[in-house]
Amino acid sequence: MNVLDPGGDNGEVWKGWPMALTRRSLLRRGAAGLLAICCLNWRYARAEIGGLFDMILGENLESGAERGSPSGNEITLGVSAAFSGPSRGLGRELYRGAKAYFDHVNENGLLGRRIALKLYDDGYQPDPCVRNTMKLMLEDRVFLLFGYVGTPTVTRVLPLLKKFQNERVYLFFPFTGAQPQREPPYGDFAFNLRASYRQETNGLVKNFVQVGRKRIAVFYQADAYGRSGWAGVRAALREHGGEFVGEATYRRGQRFTSSMRPQVEILKANSPDAVICIGSYAACAAFARDAVDLGLSVPIANLSFVGSENLLQLLTEGRENPDAYTRLLVNSQVVPSYEDLSISAVREYRELMARYNPQVPAELAEEPYEPFPQSFVSLEGFLNAKLLTEILRRLGLDPSRSRLEEAVFSVQDYDLGIGEKVSFGPNRRQGLQTVYYTIVRDGRFVTLDDWESWLG
Amino acid sequence: MKIEKLFQKTRFGIFALFGMIVLSTSLLCIYTVDTQLSAEYETNSRNIAKSIADSSVDILLNRNLATLQSLIDQFVEIQGIRYIYITSERGEYLAHTFVPGIPRQILESDPSSTETVERSIPGMGDFIEVGSPILAGVAGTVHVGMDMDIVGLKIQRAIGQQIILISILLVLGVLASIWLVNLAAKPLGGLLDYAVELAADRGKDKEPDDELLARDDEVGDLARLFRYVSGRSSDWKKPGASSTRVP
Repeated sequence: MNVLDPGGDNGEVWKGWPMALTRRSLLRRGAAGLLAICCLNWRYARAEIGGLFDMILGENLESGAERGSPSGNEITLGVSAAFSGPSRGLGRELYRGAKAYFDHVNENGLLGRRIALKLYDDGYQPDPCVRNTMKLMLEDRVFLLFGYVGTPTVTRVLPLLKKFQNERVYLFFPFTGAQPQREPPYGDFAFNLRASYRQETNGLVKNFVQVGRKRIAVFYQADAYGRSGWAGVRAALREHGGEFVGEATYRRGQRFTSSMRPQVEILKANSPDAVICIGSYAACAAFARDAVDLGLSVPIANLSFVGSENLLQLLTEGRENPDAYTRLLVNSQVVPSYEDLSISAVREYRELMARYNPQVPAELAEEPYEPFPQSFVSLEGFLNAKLLTEILRRLGLDPSRSRLEEAVFSVQDYDLGIGEKVSFGPNRRQGLQTVYYTIVRDGRFVTLDDWESWLG
Repeated sequence: MKIEKLFQKTRFGIFALFGMIVLSTSLLCIYTVDTQLSAEYETNSRNIAKSIADSSVDILLNRNLATLQSLIDQFVEIQGIRYIYITSERGEYLAHTFVPGIPRQILESDPSSTETVERSIPGMGDFIEVGSPILAGVAGTVHVGMDMDIVGLKIQRAIGQQIILISILLVLGVLASIWLVNLAAKPLGGLLDYAVELAADRGKDKEPDDELLARDDEVGDLARLFRYVSGRSSDWKKPGASSTRVP
């Protein structure tokens, strides 16, 4: 662990934390210092031995800079996301969208600084995500956490942020609509841009009920994400005086090749009018495929987390009759359609994606993946980056974590370029509220405005 | 001539004794391990259920079911715990770990029960389920299902290890006893052969086995006594000995 960062361009320091004091770090620091003395590398030795004293004393001896403040020429954001595994499309697309905007910002810099991303792969698994977060906070000492993917991962990280609350490490714009990072006791440690799953499921249920499809079943991932969506559907149904007619689950990490026939059979036995899926794209695509194959011919709705383009690709690739598998799909989205060129942010997004065409670093891209030119997920990543850049701009020339919350709360009626204004406040830690609905037409997702005629 | 008959019963007796020891020790071991491991697993499951119940109160009161699910997902990773489900005070299933769905046997059971029950769920296996009330039951109940197959496997393994050890001891013990019996049988066989020779050579001048006569034990005494009785010697005492143990 580096307390001092001698590799910084101007030799300035990033502050270390007392809680980072471990036996291993002390030994490593001491050994490195002694080795440097032996090698007559006085500059490095001074840094290492100095750092050792800092750690023992529990405070940084350098004066001036505040804990967690980037004083070099970079603001580093820590990212732990799914770059591998069955949900890698989500992490990679979200990253690509954000990177396109940050590349644009870094061309001229943000108040003299570049925005850098420190990336780790968690494969959409909670334990690696917790380890990555520890590393980002304690070793890499990033300024803030950004662009995390998934509910089971984020819900496990939130207690960590509470544990280190004195360090004020905030999680910005995770790719999940779950409630834990929106409510006490962890809501104070995260800022959300997207609408919640509760809003998405509420909208889906409301629209289904309005067109007379009241017998709703749920298919969900057996974890915190699935439960979050399940709770949203249940609450929405109760508002309309109803209950689920059936529910089925699957284990996280399923691939498209997995059979979802048992789940389809369970739900089919209850004769639902519609099924709401709360899952990842591989599992939801497998479910939609098996539902069609087994004759469950009802609308199948997916939440924004599903990664619409990845889902569509799996369901249509190499099929003679792709329409049979997609005609009853409806996906809720938390960003507008990237096909809608009347939206200024969409035009900007498409232009910057085409200009920079960001790619995931090779060390995180070992598993094959063909990125999409545009996608809902990368558009969300783009908007996340755009708003975060604005917040960092509001921090001024001397950014510090202690003023981050204040900077976020200063965002009032901010125009992100998608029509809906963004505002934050002590009791408003979610920027956007709108949910969009899309269906598949001619192999593309298009906005759904009239549910009656779609299902008529 | 061999004296097998004399020691056959001894060998059989030793074998039977060791066999009884092994059998009784194994039965006791099976009973003890089975009882203790089952009790330990049940206690662990009950502690886990209680732990979840205690930590679920705030989460349930905040209606934060995602966090509740995240909590039980961590516990179900413990070996032996196959499922966990939480029911509300009204009997609703608020969070669970079943895939692809909640089994019929669970749905038909009493959701507020905290009794230990044994369940056999087709396709899943056999379980012991324990329950723990949340906030004295007014906020719901936590149920933890322990996989009896894994417990059974562990019990089998523990018993197997003990039985292997006891069996090795049995084999070693039997071999040692055979060796010891043979150790005693060999000179006795020699003595018998000598006595037969003496009887067969009565009146002849053939000299007996010196080695046997030189032995400083009961076999030597008997050999010298036989020699004396046969009239080949005027003294049945060992040469150079001041006294003998045999009259």
